[in-house]
Amino acid sequence: MKTAIKYFKVWWMMSRNSFMQMFAQRFGAIFLLIGKVLRFIFYLSFIYFLLKGTETLAGYNINQTIFFFLTFSLVDVVSQFFFREVYRFRPMIVTGSFDLVLAKPISPLFRSLMGGADILDLITIPPLIIAVYLIGSSLHPSGVETVYFLLLFVNGLLIATAFHIAVISLGIITLEIDHTVMIYRDLTSLGRFPVDIYREPLRGFLTFLVPVGIMMTLPAKALMGLVNLQAVVLSFTLSFVLIFLSLKFWNFALTKYSSASS
Amino acid sequence: MRKYLNVFKISFAQEFAYRLNFIMWRVRNVLQILVLFFLWTTVFSDQGRVIFGYDKAKILTYVFGVLIVRALVFSARAVDVAGEISKGDLTILLLKPINYFRYWLTRDFSSKVLNLGFAVVEIAILFPLLKPAIFLQTNGYSLLGFAISLTIAVLLFFTILMATNFVAFWAPQVGWGAQFFVIVVMSDFLAGSLFPLDILPAVVQKVLLFTPFPYLIFFPIQVYLGKLTGMAMWSGIAISLFWLAVLSILTNKIWRRGLLVYRAEGR
Repeated sequence: MKTAIKYFKVWWMMSRNSFMQMFAQRFGAIFLLIGKVLRFIFYLSFIYFLLKGTETLAGYNINQTIFFFLTFSLVDVVSQFFFREVYRFRPMIVTGSFDLVLAKPISPLFRSLMGGADILDLITIPPLIIAVYLIGSSLHPSGVETVYFLLLFVNGLLIATAFHIAVISLGIITLEIDHTVMIYRDLTSLGRFPVDIYREPLRGFLTFLVPVGIMMTLPAKALMGLVNLQAVVLSFTLSFVLIFLSLKFWNFALTKYSSASS
Repeated sequence: MRKYLNVFKISFAQEFAYRLNFIMWRVRNVLQILVLFFLWTTVFSDQGRVIFGYDKAKILTYVFGVLIVRALVFSARAVDVAGEISKGDLTILLLKPINYFRYWLTRDFSSKVLNLGFAVVEIAILFPLLKPAIFLQTNGYSLLGFAISLTIAVLLFFTILMATNFVAFWAPQVGWGAQFFVIVVMSDFLAGSLFPLDILPAVVQKVLLFTPFPYLIFFPIQVYLGKLTGMAMWSGIAISLFWLAVLSILTNKIWRRGLLVYRAEGR
């Protein structure tokens, strides 16, 4: 408990610094925020007008398809909010300033992964939660379905955590992060729509190898009553395996850190 | 002319210096196209279905058309202009006997040639894998209109990109934000990269067609598909030419004003 409080305090301090940095570039940040909101609205409009014309997509109606998109957005935005520091990790490795992180009495993984939350994402999270609640309510889920949804949402975040750990570990070994993380984001963006629309073998790839389906589609399906307890347990098993493997990879990557340029 | 040819060659060679960078960028393009391909294939799972005036062959042609047209229109090195201004590196080019706009246009062309080459290879790989139904335009009149509208689109995007980057003259820190807003969000969506704009309500379409964005992607592909012919095609080309003229004049004015406030910070 004491350790948890210590880490929360460190996270709070680092996030405050990150917010202040963002305020120093507030005009650029405003453009970025407006851009993010507009992009969200454009996607939502696209789904709305598309489904107005087609009525269903892979058997899902307009509200269900929008709910898939909102669930994707929520998992994506929350993980971006927590793991924004990953995008700033490469300079630390290239310049060797990662030495300073290693020397501090906190977990270097924690520092590298969560060393500065993103205020822009924080601003967009509350309206997104309200939208998820409103559209989710219109699907009339039962109590159990709602619990499954929440559990699988957390599970989606766990998988996202595993991927971000893998990305920074790979970054230590190859010095390449920016594109790896963007490829990860492009792959997860396939979850904007239910993975049912994709053809095999892509669907299998998105379900098992890069489990976008489990991260983004499954929580939404749970709220629609399309997921049973067995699937929830299996999903959590998979995320724990991924977390375990990513932590092993992180420990291996640390042994390859050369402290170059420091 | 020879100096621009050399700029072209050097810029082309530079693209190969960051091979992984470039390959990743292309992978990202392919992933975006895959989303659209599977989305529309699902929508048109019934072969005879016609929605928003598209049948399956035409909508999949639109998706693959986006891959080609995006490679030609949106691939540009001039995205670096804002950074060049804010770091003071612009000074180096100002001292050289070279026209700044032609320099960046030449660099853009080198990027476009490379991206187009890769887009063609990607299509050659994706075609046998996905086996899409494709509409091949054989009407010379539509192909001519497509070529003209595509040329205008390339120049139009160049002016939009330059004008956006010149924001850095007044606000060096805002360059990236402005570029994300205008280029990544506005141009990509309102140009029709994600979806053909004719799925939108008629009023929205009419308004959009008076902005420069649809003439970057949507309009050239519509002309290729033969959905716009005769007066509709020529009036669209006229509007895009009008925007090109307006934005060229505006970009030049912003450039001149920008030079007056340029302080070569960082040099």
